[in-house]
Amino acid sequence: MTAARLLEEARSLLASFPVVDGHNDLPWALRQNAGYDLDRLDIAADQTGRLHTDIPRLRAGGVGGQFWSVYVRSDMAGDDAVSATLEQIDCVDRLLARYPADLAPALTADDVEAARASGRVASLKGAEGGHSINNSLATLRALYALGVRYMTLTHNDNVPWADSATDEPGVGGLSAFGREVVREMNRLGMLVDLSHVAATTMRDALATSEAPVIFSHSSSRAVCDHPRNVPDDVLAQLPANGGVAMVTFVPKFILPAAVEWTRRADENMRAHGFHPLDTTPEAMRVHAAFEDADPRPVATAATVADHLDHMREVAGIAHIGIGGDFDGTAFTPGDLQDVSAYPNLVAELLARKWSRTDIAMLTWSNPLRVLRDAEAVSRALASRPPSTATLRSLDG
Amino acid sequence: MADLQDHPYADASAVGELDDAPSGAAEAPTPAEIDVERARVLLAAQLVVDGHNTLAQELDRTHWHDLQHGSALLDTDIPRIRAGGVGAQFWSLHVAPGHTAVRATLDRIDAVRTLIASCPEALRLALTAADMTDARDCGRIASLLGPVSGTALEDSLGTLRAYHALGVRSVSVAGTHWTGAPDGLTPLGEELVREMNRLGVLVDLSGASAPTMDRVLDVTKAPVILSHSAAHALTPHHANVTDDVLRRLHVNAGVCMVSFAPDQVACHLGHPATLWDVADHVEHVRAVAGPECVGLSGSYGMATDAPHTIGLEDASCYPNLIAELLHRDWSEADIAALTWGNAARVVREAQAVARPAA
Repeated sequence: MTAARLLEEARSLLASFPVVDGHNDLPWALRQNAGYDLDRLDIAADQTGRLHTDIPRLRAGGVGGQFWSVYVRSDMAGDDAVSATLEQIDCVDRLLARYPADLAPALTADDVEAARASGRVASLKGAEGGHSINNSLATLRALYALGVRYMTLTHNDNVPWADSATDEPGVGGLSAFGREVVREMNRLGMLVDLSHVAATTMRDALATSEAPVIFSHSSSRAVCDHPRNVPDDVLAQLPANGGVAMVTFVPKFILPAAVEWTRRADENMRAHGFHPLDTTPEAMRVHAAFEDADPRPVATAATVADHLDHMREVAGIAHIGIGGDFDGTAFTPGDLQDVSAYPNLVAELLARKWSRTDIAMLTWSNPLRVLRDAEAVSRALASRPPSTATLRSLDG
Repeated sequence: MADLQDHPYADASAVGELDDAPSGAAEAPTPAEIDVERARVLLAAQLVVDGHNTLAQELDRTHWHDLQHGSALLDTDIPRIRAGGVGAQFWSLHVAPGHTAVRATLDRIDAVRTLIASCPEALRLALTAADMTDARDCGRIASLLGPVSGTALEDSLGTLRAYHALGVRSVSVAGTHWTGAPDGLTPLGEELVREMNRLGVLVDLSGASAPTMDRVLDVTKAPVILSHSAAHALTPHHANVTDDVLRRLHVNAGVCMVSFAPDQVACHLGHPATLWDVADHVEHVRAVAGPECVGLSGSYGMATDAPHTIGLEDASCYPNLIAELLHRDWSEADIAALTWGNAARVVREAQAVARPAA
């Protein structure tokens, strides 16, 4: 098949089985770049060059479901983190109210299917980091009540009850309170997201969770040795757990040459007084200057497909998905430049002789099944009372 | 349910023989049996909307309570709320100001919602005036969440909207830095008041300074409430409200829910506060703000041994106050407005302001 024919095939496949993407940081981009002023960055219009995400490109990309991240920076703590998370949730709710013909609020797997049937992008919320609940299970329940359907246990820094992949070992995985957080999430029907957490935390969470877990945006550590990726022994546990690892596109996690380049670029950012994840225009200019001097290795859809091939081998076709991390990363693969580009990835998989059924599981069926299974576990646990445990009562 | 009660004023015979009062103690007001009976009949038709109950804070400090069957350690439990004729209750979500106020508020919201969910035969969450009526008609106590502390908003409109989404329907503005401006409200304060109007969250002025009350009344488009304030003219207490503000409240069509807290209503130096003092305050507020702007606020939700106003010791005592007002020749219409009508109207009108213009 020619490239054009493959792309056409990919688009037709996505029309029936659109992508349910695990992670998109549009809310944070709107906070940083527009102060939540939705008139300043109107996603009904083409925002190419300013955002990775807008409605026309979501449509072009065949996106049928999106977990919008209500991320707040992990150097925020206490009430600042909680309050900023509430603002992020509010931002998603305002987007849903503003674009009702394109974005459909979704809390359950049924809602996601109904959104597909009505031709809208099912919109779910995911919190990124346990710092968003400030060590409080009641705050966790409040996030659930406000529609949050997954929580990543940590972001780049440890929380008092869970270790992050990109921090020093703390409690060595999950503490007793950390395990209670997982159990309470099971009871509520909120997915446990293991992206960003240390491998020790992944293993503890898999041993604790009664419901399937997700990796909302993580790739394979065997293919590219970066702490943000999932080791094979953990991937191999997913069939027993029923969960799904959603491959991410972030070049500095998936391409070994980019891992090394990013280390150099981050040093440069710090030397100029910026946080390496800063996406303000000033920081981006510093980044661009560095890039002129030291060309950035470019990942492609083939790089992502290499990860998917390996993850399918280890975890099985029923346990992989897609979590692009658009608007959460400064750089993207060359041919996966924004949310309109999912057909390029699907075309690459078709070229690698993935079957239509396999691709439908990857894009649509697997994430739906995980949502549905987590809902079933929550119903089964309905007689369990809300947990009143505290960090102090369990961890001393 | 009344037979579960152990309250001296519910049955006049229980106190009838108490003829030598201990020296120094005030004479206990004992409403005439006939008035108490009339009060109960009136309350059966027009239940009380109570403005302020701090049970959620008390539950932080104490562990074991059986609210459904009654707790001798608290002044609030479900049998006594029912005996008192309460049909709707604002549950205070107040937290101490500080760097964990948001988390503490979310904890409170969760605790009260869990409490409501654990007593489905008695309590029902109410988000609107229609919910209040429905709950009452189903024999449930309509439970409204609020006020939250304004200091727990973290100066964030998004946090305010999140509280609203979780069911909160009033915010207490007292003690916030955005009410500290010389003219009563900073620009952020004005924006917060407008956003509360837009959402249908009541602005609670109890405890706010006089300039803040004035400025809020300038800015707000919706009626405000004073969830627990008595008349400053009778008892100069910082949480009480001046006659000037009461006159403005009449124009705003808000409601001042008269507190029963002893330190807010004691009118006579050296004498403990009694039910008569509360009746004086209720009459004063009615006289200055008008009969359509006065309500009741038991300010219960404390331990039984905390200070209480004599004659109004726990949540079952509202009929005593109504009996006293009947004794003072209040019309049944005014009493119905006092107990249910005014507060329910303010909730409904705040919602109407929030509804986008058709």
